[in-house]
Amino acid sequence: MSDNKSTVQSAKRRGNGGSVVAFLESVVIGAILLVLVQTFLEDYAVLSGWNVDIRNKLLLAGFFFDLFFTIEFLIRFYYALMGRRVGRYLTLERGWIDFLASIPLLMFNSGPFALTLLTGGGIALGLGGILNLLKVIKAIRIARILRFLRIIKIFRKIKNVSSPMAQRHVASITAISVTVTVVCLLFFTFFSTTLRINGLDTAFSDQQAATADYLEEKTNDPGDFILALETLRQTRTNLLIVKYRGQTLFSRFSNDYYSQSFAPGDYSYLSRDGLELFFDQRSYVSQLSRESILFFVIVVLVVLAYLLIYSPHFALTVTDPIHVMRRGLEETDYNLEVKVPERYQRDDIFELAKLYNEKYLPLKDRAQNEEGESLIQLDLAEVSHILPEEKES
Amino acid sequence: MDPTLARAAAFINHLLSNPALNTLNPLKKEEQILQFLRTNAQSLVPTLASPQFFPGKSWNQILQLLYTALTRETDKVLKPQLEELIRKQISFSFVSEIQPHRIPEDQCRQQMWELTQRLLQKPEARKSLLGPVTAIMNDFAGRYLEKSFEDRQYVHFELTKVQRLRLEIEDIKHMIHATLLLRPSIQLFSEGRGTPGEGVESVLVQPQFAATALDSMKAQLQNVPPELLRGGLYSNVSFEEDKQIDATARLAAIFSSRGKNYKPIARLDRGASTPDRSWFSITRRNYKYYGFDIKMLDECYKIASESGW
Repeated sequence: MSDNKSTVQSAKRRGNGGSVVAFLESVVIGAILLVLVQTFLEDYAVLSGWNVDIRNKLLLAGFFFDLFFTIEFLIRFYYALMGRRVGRYLTLERGWIDFLASIPLLMFNSGPFALTLLTGGGIALGLGGILNLLKVIKAIRIARILRFLRIIKIFRKIKNVSSPMAQRHVASITAISVTVTVVCLLFFTFFSTTLRINGLDTAFSDQQAATADYLEEKTNDPGDFILALETLRQTRTNLLIVKYRGQTLFSRFSNDYYSQSFAPGDYSYLSRDGLELFFDQRSYVSQLSRESILFFVIVVLVVLAYLLIYSPHFALTVTDPIHVMRRGLEETDYNLEVKVPERYQRDDIFELAKLYNEKYLPLKDRAQNEEGESLIQLDLAEVSHILPEEKES
Repeated sequence: MDPTLARAAAFINHLLSNPALNTLNPLKKEEQILQFLRTNAQSLVPTLASPQFFPGKSWNQILQLLYTALTRETDKVLKPQLEELIRKQISFSFVSEIQPHRIPEDQCRQQMWELTQRLLQKPEARKSLLGPVTAIMNDFAGRYLEKSFEDRQYVHFELTKVQRLRLEIEDIKHMIHATLLLRPSIQLFSEGRGTPGEGVESVLVQPQFAATALDSMKAQLQNVPPELLRGGLYSNVSFEEDKQIDATARLAAIFSSRGKNYKPIARLDRGASTPDRSWFSITRRNYKYYGFDIKMLDECYKIASESGW
């Protein structure tokens, strides 16, 4: 009796624990969907010229999401460690996605941005030669898209994805495609940065360095310096502020405008022997956002294409015929043939289906006819109330 | 009512109330319960032979009692359905068209109804009614004839040119339905096995056996056209044995078999062929075994494929 009681209590505990886990998983899924929206909006805000306040809030939201997913990863990793299944978690259960889409983002992307915002700074993100770093940071951000792979399971309800085999195959091929896309992007970004392959970033950097060099040469002659500043005001529209020995000699806009229109990363900063220069790099940031959105859209379309196009194709040509044949072999009164599409009739699976249709089912039909019996839809449980209970041995 | 029979009826009613049987027609329910009793005999005997139920009776006696109760319960539902079918739904206006001398339609109906009641008395014939009744209820003949007459292929040719039926399509359908009802009457000439529910649903008979049965039936049912009787009885003969079998008889044999295997499907599995198409495809491969006309099966298969049945 007490045994029964404890079993029931432990089952109840398991039930409660199960519902808590299910709730937390739902929260994670919700967070994943939201972070994908946030990722898109962060770039869209740049392209649409949204207010800096909103953009900063989006950046902060990204930080909190990354913090949340870092904690989630650490908890999962801890439990995997305790359960001695770290290898399984990181590979089969796709823990590597949890890792890539959390800790690196927090450390190298949203973390520094949030720190800048929370401490009221900004210079750190505008340091000279930051363009390459900004590009890398943006590229790391694309790892967030990997989270798409975590939510594939919520697409199970979609037509044709009911078979676990189809789900596994579609999830695998989607993971491979998305990962290859993201890894290619990351690899190319690091590769082009390390080898200084010429691009928009190097052109910006070179131009900023040339401007600084030019002004530095003129510092000895105040007349020439003023003249040079006037020339630069007209020719270098991305030059925002020039300071010399702490004194502002030139500012293109008012301070209010800077605070309302420039988010961290929207400007760069160069310093040469008492000369300090601030450059507008919003056009470059816009270019990066355009690329990010492009990759985001590519990944979304790849995932949707696999789910909505490849998945039904896989079901039609693999899992559906297997399902029908399995039922025919398993169930006495299931005698439906496998539908063999003409264009796929030479596939191995449909060659097998033809044998099932043309050999097995006719034999089964004759055997059933000879036995003269069909499947009984009643079982002894129907009259269990009148039958004596079987004695336990 | 005899208390023993009342207990049997209560037991049977309990089984009949099972929701798993809700979608089945009365004869199919009966078949299911008989099969259940036979399959689970060993588990049921100790309880059913106890003082609470049927004390002192052997399993065969118990089975007989349960069978009696079962057929009574089934008949309560089945007989009104069959009567409705014979008296109202099947039109016998075709009878005066298929033979020279006039037969009153009402008398033909009456003899068909009396014959059906006789069939219900014999377990083997009763069991053989499952396929025909299901086929009529689901109007297989009507559906396939309509398509067949649109295409004017083999079935149409056999009915109109070979069998020379000068009837409207609706009358041919009624004629096939009547043939279906007559088909189990071959069982009246076979020896019963004695055990309720056992016995093969349909067996092929030799043409000579059918001929003898036909002579006897003609004498018994003088208000049923001999052509109709011949169709009903010869539908039990293999087409391989006798190539002269009427087209209506061949169709009745096919639809009866389809009716026997018919199972309503709530939702078709993706990747599976439709039920009728599957059945005709499988049966085409077994046509010799069942004694069917392969060309009719081919045509029905084509119709089922094109119609998504």
